[in-house]
Amino acid sequence: MLLPTHENVINIVQAKFSCTEIVKTLHLNASITQKEWLDENRILALVEHDSTFALFIIISEKLKPESFSDLTIERAIPIDEHFSCDTDPIPESYTHIIFSIIYKKIKLNFVIEIGFESSNFASEVIRLKEISSLNVNDFHWLDKYSSGVSQTEINLQDPAMNDQSPDLPIARQKIAQGHGISANRESFLRYQLSLKEPEYTHLQEFSIFVGTWNVNGQPPTISLKNWLSIDQEPPDVYAIGFQELDLSKEAFLMFDTPREAEWRKAIMDAIHPDTKYRSVAYVRLVGMQLEVLVNNSHYKYIRNVAIDTVGTGILGKMGNKGGVAVRLELHNTSLCFVNAHLAAGVDEVERRNQDYNDINQRANFRRHPYTIREHDQVYWLGDLNYRITEQSAVQVKKHLANEDLASVLLADQLNQQKDLSKVLQDYSEGDITFQPTYKFDLNSDVYDTSEKARAPAWTDRVLWRGKGIHQLAYRSHMDLKISDHKPVSALFKSEICVVDQNKYRKVHEELLKKMDKLENEFLPQVTVDQSEVIFDIVKFREPQYREIIIANTGQVLAEFEFIKKLDDVSYCKEWLSITPFSGCIKPGEKCDLRLTVNLEQPLENIYDILVLHLMGGKDMFITVSGECQKSCFTTSIATLSRAPVPLLHLTPDQFNHAENQQSPILYSIPRELWLLVDHLYRNGLKTRELFESTALHEEIIRIRDWLDLGSMDQIPGSIHAVAEALLLFLSYTRDPVIPYHLHDTCIAASSNYQNCKQIIMQKMSDLDRNVFLYLSMFLQELLKYSNENGTDPKTLATIFGDILLRDPIRNSRPQANRGKASFIYHFLINDQSSLIMPCK
Amino acid sequence: MSAGPYNYSYIFKYIIIGDMGVGKSCLLHQFTEKKFMSDCPHTIGVEFGTRIIEVAGQKIKLQIWDTAGQERFRAVTRSYYRGAAGALMVYDITRRSTYNHLSSWLTDTRNLTNPSTVIFLIGNKCDLEGQRDVTYEEAKQFADENGLMFVEASAKTGQNVEEAFLETARKIYQSIQDGRLDLNAAESGVQHKPSQPGRNTLSSDQQFNKDNCAC
Repeated sequence: MLLPTHENVINIVQAKFSCTEIVKTLHLNASITQKEWLDENRILALVEHDSTFALFIIISEKLKPESFSDLTIERAIPIDEHFSCDTDPIPESYTHIIFSIIYKKIKLNFVIEIGFESSNFASEVIRLKEISSLNVNDFHWLDKYSSGVSQTEINLQDPAMNDQSPDLPIARQKIAQGHGISANRESFLRYQLSLKEPEYTHLQEFSIFVGTWNVNGQPPTISLKNWLSIDQEPPDVYAIGFQELDLSKEAFLMFDTPREAEWRKAIMDAIHPDTKYRSVAYVRLVGMQLEVLVNNSHYKYIRNVAIDTVGTGILGKMGNKGGVAVRLELHNTSLCFVNAHLAAGVDEVERRNQDYNDINQRANFRRHPYTIREHDQVYWLGDLNYRITEQSAVQVKKHLANEDLASVLLADQLNQQKDLSKVLQDYSEGDITFQPTYKFDLNSDVYDTSEKARAPAWTDRVLWRGKGIHQLAYRSHMDLKISDHKPVSALFKSEICVVDQNKYRKVHEELLKKMDKLENEFLPQVTVDQSEVIFDIVKFREPQYREIIIANTGQVLAEFEFIKKLDDVSYCKEWLSITPFSGCIKPGEKCDLRLTVNLEQPLENIYDILVLHLMGGKDMFITVSGECQKSCFTTSIATLSRAPVPLLHLTPDQFNHAENQQSPILYSIPRELWLLVDHLYRNGLKTRELFESTALHEEIIRIRDWLDLGSMDQIPGSIHAVAEALLLFLSYTRDPVIPYHLHDTCIAASSNYQNCKQIIMQKMSDLDRNVFLYLSMFLQELLKYSNENGTDPKTLATIFGDILLRDPIRNSRPQANRGKASFIYHFLINDQSSLIMPCK
Repeated sequence: MSAGPYNYSYIFKYIIIGDMGVGKSCLLHQFTEKKFMSDCPHTIGVEFGTRIIEVAGQKIKLQIWDTAGQERFRAVTRSYYRGAAGALMVYDITRRSTYNHLSSWLTDTRNLTNPSTVIFLIGNKCDLEGQRDVTYEEAKQFADENGLMFVEASAKTGQNVEEAFLETARKIYQSIQDGRLDLNAAESGVQHKPSQPGRNTLSSDQQFNKDNCAC
C-alpha cells in the first residue's frame, strides 16, 4: 500500500530507472545513523526487475524530490539470501525506530518514523526476502549501480556489526504495539551472555599440536611417529596438514586420490598412543589436506565445526594452490586452522602474498559465516613457499654449515614480507631453530643437488594469531626423508575459555529473570482516577455526565478500549455512552473519558461493570451505578390509571399495588394523558405543525416534572412542547398502546376498516382501548381544523402509527410502517363515537 | 538471525482465582518479580503478568491473568476462564471462609474451562502458621477428592510459589505430550509457537493478543 502523498514521489523516483525496473514502494526521510555516511536526506526504494528485487538507497537533495535530477542513487542492495533486515528500538524514543539492513557483513541503520509508512515498507521488504529465498535470482542488472561502493563496504565492516548498546535494547515500540520483546530475546540474550563471559568462564590450557608436511606426491611408506608422537605428553588437539598429497593429473582433475585414505591411516597409526583421538574434521582440496583430531574426552565440547577450501591456482581458482581450513569452537573459544600451499617459485613473492589475501577473503565457512580473522585463535600452517633470496645457494649452505641460522633468516622472504605487512600481518611465529626444510634430495638429508641447485628455504611454517597462545616447540623432523620437504611441527599451550556450567546457568538464569522483569515492566500500565462512578438520581431523558481520567503510568504507549463482557452485545448498557471508548495514551500523558447516562427505560437503578482493556496488558473494571427516579413516561398505562396522586407522591406500597394491578382502576385513561391532550385540545387545535416541530429539552423536563409531581400551576412550556411530550409519553409507556402481540394482526387487517374495528373492540383491554379511542377522537377533532393547523390525516396516521404500534426494538421493521399508518388512518376518518363505552 | 534456543515454543495461559484478599496478586508478583508486595491494593480488574520458564528443555511463555476476587466482579471475571490451560485456585489458610468458598470457585472453573485444564489448589499465607484456620490435611483431602494438585505456599516468603507455577506447566506439557490436550482446539489455552523471529517482529504476537481480547 502506498500513501497517497507518495504517488508523485514514486513517479519521480521511477524516472531514475529503466522501464524494466519498477519502483514498487518507497520510504521517505530515512536518515542513516553511521558516522561514516554523510548526513543526507535519503529515500529507500524497492525496485523489481524480472521478478528479482533490490533495495535502493537514494540521496535526495530536497526533503521531497521535485524532479529526478534531485536524486542520486547511492547504493543498490540485492534482496537475496545474504539480505536480511531488522528493527530495533531507540532508547527514549516513541516516535522513531531503527530499521537495519544487513547484507553480508554490512549493516546499515536507518532512523525512520513509526507509522503506516514504516510498517508497510518493512513488511514488504520482509515479504520480498521470503519470496527471494524460493527463487534463483540473477542480479546482473544491478552491476551498473554498484560502482564506487567498495570503499564504504570496507568502512562498514566489524564496528558497525558490533554497534550495540551495552544496555538491554528493549523494543518499546514493539511492546507498545503488542508485539512483546520475545522476538529480540534471543539476540539480547546472546549479546548479554557474551558481555558477561568472564563471569562464567575460566581459562584452561590445552596442548595443540600443529604439523605440516609437503609430501611431494609420495605414498606413506614410513611411520609418522617421529613427527606426530615425538612429545612425551599426548596433545589435546592435532591439526595435521599435507601439501602435494598427490601430484597426478587424476587428483587434479578428478578430485579423487587413493593417497587420501593412505595418509589418513598413516596419521591414525602414528598419533600419540597414550590417548584415544577422534577426528573432528577433515578437508582436502587436490593436494592440500587438513585433519583435526581431538582427545576423545574433549569431543563433546566441540561445536559448530565447519570446513572451507579456497583454490588460488590456475586461473586464480584451481586447487593446485590455495588453502583448506577447519573452524570449530572448543568450549567457548573459536579456533581456525588453515593449511595453505602458496604459489611456488623464488620470485613469486607477490603471488604468494596475493594467494594469502585471497584465502582470507574467500574463506567463509558458509554454514557458520565467519572469516578466518574473526576467530579467537588462528593457526596458519603449510608450505608457504617463501624462499631465501639475496643469498646464493652456496652462501646459504655455508651459513648453515656454520650453524648460523640467523644470517640466513635475515634473507627469508616471509620475514621480510611480514615486516612490510604484506602477508600474515599480526601473526606470530616462534624462533626458527631448525634447518631449512626444503629442498632435499629424496630419501636423504642432502640439500638439492640437481641442476637448479635451489637455495635451501624454510618453506614449511606454522604461525598463529590470537590471545593466550604459547608456543612450546617449533621444529623439523629430519627422520622423515621420503619427500623433498621435511615435516615441521609446532606444539602450543593455548588458553581455552571453558564454561563453568553452574556459573553459566546462574548468569543465564539471572539474565532471563532480568528480561522477564523488563517484559513485565514494559507491559502497558495505566491508572484510572476512579473505579466506581456513581451518578446522581437519574431521571428520564435528562442526561448526566461524569469524567474519568486515565493516566498512562507505564513506560510504553497504552492502547485502551472498552470491551464486551461474555454474552453482552455491547461494551456498555444502552443507557450509557463513553467517549472516547478507545484510544492511545503516551507514557506520562492522560486521557479524559466522558461517561454519559441517558435513561429511557423504566429502571429502579442503573448498574454495570465496564471492562477497560489495555492492548497487550491488563483489564480494569469500572463500576457505574446510580438510582433512577420514576416517571410517568416509563410507567405502564395500567399503573398510571390506578394512581390516585401524581407518581412521585405515591408511597412505595401504593405504587407496588398499582403496578401489580391490586388497586382499583381510578381513571378510564391515565390522568397524565388527559392533562396533555386536554391542554392541546383547549389551546392547540389551531396551531400549525403541532406534532412536527421540536421543543427545547428543558421544556420537556419541566413538563415531565409537572406531570410526575403534580402542580396547581399552568402546564409549563410551549404548545409544541406539550405536543412533543404527548408523543414521548406514548412512545415510552412501558407497553405500546396496542400490545405487541396484536401488531401483525393489525397490519394484516389494515386494508379493511371493519376488521380493524373488530381488533380494537374485541382484542384490546378496556384501558388500552379507552386510550386508543380517546386519542383517535382527539386527532379527529384536530383534523376538523385542518384549514387552520395544516394537518392532514395521512401525516397524523404515519406519526401515530409508528408510536401506537411501536416495535419492541425501535424501528426494527421499517417496512411495516405503511401498514401501521393505514390501520390508524381508518380511525381518523371514521366516526367512533358509538364505540366509546363507559368504564367498568 | 537463526532461530535459537532462547525463543519460547509454547504459550500457556493461566488464570488465578479465589476470594478477595487471599493473595492472588502477591503470588503473581512473587512469581514474576521475586518480590513480596506488602501493600497490595485490591485488584479491580484483571492484572496481567508474563514469564518464560523451561520445561523438559522447552521454553514456555506463561501468560498469567490475575483476576479480581471481589464477589461483585464474579460475573465479569468468569469471562476470563475461557481458554486457560492452567487455573491456580487460591485460598487463605488463615481464613476459613476463603476455603469454604472453594467448591463454588471449582464449579466455575469446571464449567468455564475445558476438561484438560490443570487446576492447582494453593493454600496461601502458610508463613502465618500461628493464625492457621484450615489444616493441611483437610485441604489435601479436598484436593484429592476433586483431583486437584495442591501445595501450601507463601507469597511473602516465596515458599512453594515457583513450584506451583512450574508444576502446573509440567502437567500441561505432559498433557500435550500424551496427546490429551489438543493444540488445535481453540480453547486449549496453549499456543504452539515455532520460533520465527523474523516474523514475530511484525505480526504474530499481536495476533495472539487480539485473540485473547475477545472476552
